[in-house]
This record gives sequence, structure tokens and C-alpha cells, in this order.
Amino acid sequence: MSRVLIVEDEQHIADGLRFNLEAEGVDATVARDGEQALDLLLGGHDIFDAVILDVMLPGKDGFTVAGELRAAGKYVPILMLTARGRPEDVLRGFEAGADDYLPKPFELAILLARLRGLLRRRQWNEQAEAGETSRNDSYSFAGRTLDFRAMEVHARGKSHRLTQMESELLRYLVRHAGEAVSRGTILEEVWGLHEETDTRAIDNFIVRLRRYLEDRPSSPKILVTVRGVGYKFVRPDETA
Amino acid sequence: MTRRRQAITFVALCVLLVTAALLLNISWIITNAGSVPPLVFGVVTFGLIIAGLIVYTVFLVLEIRRNEEHDTFINAVTHELKTPIASIRLYLETLQAREVSDARRREFYDVMLADADRLHHTVDQVLKAGAVRARRHPARAPVDVGALARECVELAVARHHLQPGAVALETPDSSALLVSGDTEELRTVVTNLLDNAVKYSGESPRVTVAVAAPAPDTVWIRVQDRGIGIPKKQLKRIFNRFYRVQARGLRQIKGTGLGLYIVRTIARAHGGRVFAQSEGEGRGATFTLELPRLTPQ
Repeated sequence: MSRVLIVEDEQHIADGLRFNLEAEGVDATVARDGEQALDLLLGGHDIFDAVILDVMLPGKDGFTVAGELRAAGKYVPILMLTARGRPEDVLRGFEAGADDYLPKPFELAILLARLRGLLRRRQWNEQAEAGETSRNDSYSFAGRTLDFRAMEVHARGKSHRLTQMESELLRYLVRHAGEAVSRGTILEEVWGLHEETDTRAIDNFIVRLRRYLEDRPSSPKILVTVRGVGYKFVRPDETA
Repeated sequence: MTRRRQAITFVALCVLLVTAALLLNISWIITNAGSVPPLVFGVVTFGLIIAGLIVYTVFLVLEIRRNEEHDTFINAVTHELKTPIASIRLYLETLQAREVSDARRREFYDVMLADADRLHHTVDQVLKAGAVRARRHPARAPVDVGALARECVELAVARHHLQPGAVALETPDSSALLVSGDTEELRTVVTNLLDNAVKYSGESPRVTVAVAAPAPDTVWIRVQDRGIGIPKKQLKRIFNRFYRVQARGLRQIKGTGLGLYIVRTIARAHGGRVFAQSEGEGRGATFTLELPRLTPQ
């Protein structure tokens, strides 16, 4: 579940926004002024996935809050919200470090869409960071090379072409090496399919991938079945 | 901020020019020491130039300051107009787009009503500020100040949802104190003063409204609060149009800077005055409206 911080001193707007975010399945927290917002955001743990930031706040205004956050090296996405919609205000907002800017009064649907956009981009960035090594080129282990760009596997002296779905599944498992990945996750996160799709389809993919990678596909050491959950990728040198 | 720098630049320029003019004047006096007519002519001309420079700079600086206040006003009014609209919109869209329980729905209606009131209040203040400026001579009719104050107190208590004892009213027991004026405008004055007293009092306001006749020919309406007070230096400026008190801790309180301007304009149009007293920040404020008393013939 995404967590969003609403920084807004107008109680009515803060409450209305929180109600809507919660209806969208987002966990929303409200800060009433700039100091409180900075306390929450600079407090060590990056628990918020995005911030909705009002500009006209008592004490430290939105521009200051955004500036201080960026100066402290916190890059949580900021959607700035303000009654001041003049071009110079918008520019000042972006200069202070806002990712998006919406003048009041805003349309609820637009606000939610932009917030979803920020959350999505954050997710992409995280995935890109996590998968830096595997996404860009290839991944090698124990004499095997997975070339995700060419969608090929080189193992035990042979090369195999991978389909898009095989490649994506393999990449996901490698990125989460050592973690059990559930069948539901594979369907939804990796392939973007509906969760109710027949999960046995995955088993067929795994069987094929094992044939490419494993020394003895009947007793797998690399793509291991986690009973009742799904599969996990284990680097062979770790099992040894 | 940049405006302040602008003002400083112009004052510096003025000082420089005045100094230059003075030096020229002195050298003129020295070179024409012998003959009286050019001496007198020169000194008078230089005097005029210097006076002109000073007057010009004073006006310029005043204008810069007024511009600055106008800017803050535009910002404040923008905020005061757009915030309730944004809120009402948000709640309407929520009601339109989502399943909302009955209890929540009623809550949302209350929020929207409060926002509509706020919007109305802002629009009212702006329109009134324009109206009182245009109309210098109010309608004249005898007004019972005690009754007017009572009415305003009751209204304020109801509107701000105050405890019954939060606003105390002191009126003289003797016969009614009358003034000549426009009931509607005088009601605006007392209501504005009361609204301020409540607004700047924090969580639990305690306000005293006193109606008295300090002299046979004057009437006072005093509104005294125990709120956050006013810095002494700003006691006069608060009645200026668009002026907002600047002090720490005041940042949370929003307004247009028109309320007291309206009060002063109406007071003056009625041949009276209004003044503020405060022991300083955190020690409350007292506003006194002084009007000429209408003595029954």
C-alpha cells in the first residue's frame, strides 16, 4: 500500500483529500504545517511514497519545505498544490524541487491521476535501481550467462532463445534471488496478468527454463520450488 | 523584499541629491556674497528644489509601501477566495464519484456550508470596503447603541459557536445612548471588531463589550479581548487598507486586511474615530469606537 503525506493547513481540504486517498486504497497522513511535515519526512525512515504539498502554510511555506527536503537529499515525489497559479509561482515551485504542480481549485480526478503518476514513476525508479545489473545487459553465474537484452541463455555450451515472458520471469527471479516469489506475484507483477489466471501456466515456463539452466532438470538446484508458495532463484555457488 | 530594497535605493538617491543641492547652494552663497538679489533668488530656488526632492521621495516611498500592501492583499484575497472554492469542489466531486455513508454525507454538507459562509464573508468584506469608500455621507437616523451592541453580541456568539459567557456585555442602566447614523454600517463596525476579537483570541475567547458615555457628548463602544495582542508600533497602521499585523505566532490567522479599514472609514464618516490599545503581544487588545452622542432635544 502506498503512503502519502498531505501537508495542508486548511482542515477541510486536508480531510477531503484524506478521505479520497483512503478510498483509493492509499494510506494518508496529514501534517498541518511545514515544520511538522519536515519532522515526518526527515525523520530517518522514508515511509512516504509521495507528498501533496500546499504552498501557503503557516511558518515554513511549501517552497521552503520542498527546498529543504531536496537539500537533505530526500527525493520523495512532491505534488505541489496552491491557490497561487501565476507562472512565476509555478516556476518557483519547480525550482524548489516539486515534481508536479496543480493550482487550486483542482479537479479531484486530475489530482488523483497525477498522484498515481508520481507513485508509478517512483516504483519504476525503484525497480530500475534494484535491477540495474540485470536489466541493462546480462547476468552471469556458475558458467551460465543470461543475456536479457538479446533474450538468450548461454549454459552448458549451448544457447537458447528466450521468449518475452520467459525472459521477464527469469529476470524477476534473478532480481529477487533467494526470495520465494509467489505464483500470484509472477502473474500480476511480472506479466501484468490478472491474478485469477491459471497458475499452472507458470509451472510450464519453469520446466522449460530448468531445461536450459539446470544440470539435472528433474532435481533442480537453481530454480527451486517453494512448496505452497512458488519459486525462488538460488545461485549455485550459494548452495554449495 | 525587493520593494524594500527599492525604497532604500530611492531614499539614498534623495539624500545624495539633497546633499549636492546643499553644496551648490553654499557655493552660490560664497560666490554671490556681495550682491543681495541673486543671493536671495538662489537660496529660495535651492530651498524649493530641496523641498521638492524630499516631498517627491516621501510620496514615492509611501507609494511603494502601498503597492506592497496591495500585493499582500491580492495574495490574501486570492487565497481566501480560492480555498473555500477548492474545498467545496473537492467535496462535491467526492459526493458525485464515491459511495459515501449517510453520516459522512451530512458531515460533508456541513463542511461545504462553512466554506460557502467563508466565501460569502470574504466577498462581503471586499464589496463593503469599496462601498464605504465611495459613500462618505451615511444615512442619518437615531441609533440606540446599547441595543445595537446587544444584537451584534448575540449574532457573534451564534456565528462563532461560542460559550454563552464568552462575550460579556456592559451597558449603562440609564436611558438609551443614541447616535445619529446608519444602523447597517454601525452594525458592520461592531461585528468586525467582535469578529477580530474572537479570531485573535485562540481556543477559548473571552471578550468584553462595553457601551458607555465618557463625556456628555460622546459615546464609546469598547471591544476588549484577552487574545494575542498587537505590537505597539503597529497600533495605528492596522487601520490602513490591506494592512495585516506582522508578528510571530500570527501566521496561522488569515484575512484580507480590510476589516479594520472598513471600521475606520465608517467611524470617520459618522464624525467619530476608532483607536486600538494593547499592552503588547500576548496581552490582549482593546478597540474603542468613539461617536458623537445624539442628545434628545
